Amino acid sequence: MSKQSLNKTNLSIAIQYLVARKKQSVLAIIGVLLGVTTFIVMINFMSGVNDFLDNAVFKGNPDIVIKPTSKQNTAQQSYGFQLTNLEGLEEINRQLREHTNVTAYANQTISPAILVSNSQQLPGSVNGIFPIEEKNMVDLDKRLIAGKGFDNLTEKNILMGVSLAKKLQVSVNDTIKIILPNGKNTTLTVSGIFSFGITTIDNVRTYISAKTLQHLLGRSEIITHVNVKLKDRDNLDVKTLLLKKLKSIEIEDWKQNNKTIVVGNKVRDILTWSVSFALLLVAGFGIYNIQNSTVIHKRKDIAVLKTIGYTSEDIIFIFLIQAIIIGLIGAFLALGVGYLISFFISITPLDTSDFIIVDTYPINFSKNHFAIGFLFGVLTTILSGYFPSRKASKVDPVTIIRGV
Amino acid sequence: MILEANNIDKHFLQPQSHHVLKNVSLKINQGELVSLYGESGSGKSSLLYILSTLDTSFSGNLKILGQETKNLSQKELTQFRNKHIGFVYQFHYLLPEFSVLQNIILPAQKLGAKKMNDLKKDAVDLLEELGIAEFVNYPSHKLSGGQQQRVAIARALINDPQIIIADEPTGNLDEKNSAIIFKTLKEIAEKRNNTVLMATHNPNFYNNSHRAIEMINGTLRL
Ligand SMILES: Nc1ncnc2c1ncn2[C@@H]1O[C@H](COP(=O)(O)OP(=O)(O)O)[C@@H](O)[C@H]1O
Ligand SMILES: [Mg+2]
Repeated sequence: MSKQSLNKTNLSIAIQYLVARKKQSVLAIIGVLLGVTTFIVMINFMSGVNDFLDNAVFKGNPDIVIKPTSKQNTAQQSYGFQLTNLEGLEEINRQLREHTNVTAYANQTISPAILVSNSQQLPGSVNGIFPIEEKNMVDLDKRLIAGKGFDNLTEKNILMGVSLAKKLQVSVNDTIKIILPNGKNTTLTVSGIFSFGITTIDNVRTYISAKTLQHLLGRSEIITHVNVKLKDRDNLDVKTLLLKKLKSIEIEDWKQNNKTIVVGNKVRDILTWSVSFALLLVAGFGIYNIQNSTVIHKRKDIAVLKTIGYTSEDIIFIFLIQAIIIGLIGAFLALGVGYLISFFISITPLDTSDFIIVDTYPINFSKNHFAIGFLFGVLTTILSGYFPSRKASKVDPVTIIRGV
Repeated sequence: MILEANNIDKHFLQPQSHHVLKNVSLKINQGELVSLYGESGSGKSSLLYILSTLDTSFSGNLKILGQETKNLSQKELTQFRNKHIGFVYQFHYLLPEFSVLQNIILPAQKLGAKKMNDLKKDAVDLLEELGIAEFVNYPSHKLSGGQQQRVAIARALINDPQIIIADEPTGNLDEKNSAIIFKTLKEIAEKRNNTVLMATHNPNFYNNSHRAIEMINGTLRL
């Protein structure tokens, strides 16, 4: 389209047509509004859920976990309870240190334990950690709802998930006793309570100093697990490498442990895009129909415009700009409506499920979502307005003028 | 010489084959009012569409204002029409949603040679000449047929084109309105020294033109 056709006259003719067919114009605008709003709300919500799960599950859990093979475990369990030390720890740590896809790793000693508070007694487990290492794995400070984090974890302290603390009826500065399978026990002070928003962590997880645990176990060097964070989570080269080098280990990765979440994210993405696409398609088809009937009804006008000096390009512009105006108004309104609806969803209380612990629906108000929705809406209208406009530009004035 | 047509020949192939114009040649001078008459179906409209550059599928040559029209692209032809040719149809063909004023200035807005205020003044002047100045801001569909046809003439004149082509402009009008239209067209030729080529069935009109040409079955009897 040349610059010549982008003039005020053509624009005012286009607006005249829009105003003359108010009802259709408004309907077309509503169509775009619905399509774009749905897109924005759905993508805000779906990606809110995705982000939430991502944050809770992936930020709270390691990407891969290295532990002794379960064969060893069962063999030793037949002799009564005994934790299995992870063999080749030095080699494992060296490999992890040198691997470019590893952002952090932390050694842990995990043991079953009975947790005893003043009023309650629960079977569970304790994670013995090295605070300096663990700090790089889990951003606990962001998750704290009371007390202090890894920095203040002494050998006499314990950190625990909020749901577990509730069950034990303890809060920060209360003491609890842990009893290990070997019968040894100690009393620790709760120095922090955290929440990741998912039950698999908040219901069970505790952190104590690895030194305390090793001491109680009577095995000052024992390490049972190594947790690893990866730069690129989808690249599991390091797992293959370690399994090849060391025969006595077993490696779990995030894909095995979080299959449902990964699949859920994909399903939500597909749902968002397909529903929005379908709605925009309907809106686009509506515009196409309206434009088409305008072109058919206005054949005489088009013929006249052509005889008095309006070129085919002018005609395309006159009709295309109508679609663009509809698209811009509809998409612009959708930004506001989409924001409002998203906002109301984001303050709607949500009943905690078996898996998620959260107060309201998660919404991700990303600027990109609004930008993509807007662009989508306008592009759809331009596309659906283009074909009727081109048809209009091809009207042969002689045929029309002769035809009455 | 304002307009010179040589050996214009045209066939229709669809819906049925028809030799509508047979080697038509015609010369028209500046300031002339030329009438074209003849039976319905003799080819008057077909010839006028060609002479006004709307229809380009014909053989032969057409020179308007010294310009060989075959050498112009569709876009150039459209611009040429905008500047030099005014066209009045049998049916008035105004844009119904637009006001009288908006209809009249459409060709001038496209030409873009004058400012809006000047255009409005020109339009009102034309409407005054045509006796319908009070309707300037009416929506065009609210006017009677005769009034609408006068608006269409004003629209054809707004760019002051050298040539006005009118295809049975009074075909749908009563006697009184027809007379007004004819008088206007004649004045355009005589006062403004523009050229008018008009198809008409009314003997009163073609007998009072500067030149009357009969069209018989696709040929001109000069
Ligand atoms: N598209 C067409 N295809 C075939 N024949 C046509 C077409 N348009 C017009 N005609 C024929 O051409 C002849 C001339 O028509 P026209 O130029 O309108 O004559 P007039 O204006 O003198 O009445 C008529 O016989 C008409 O039926
Ligand atoms: Mg005719």
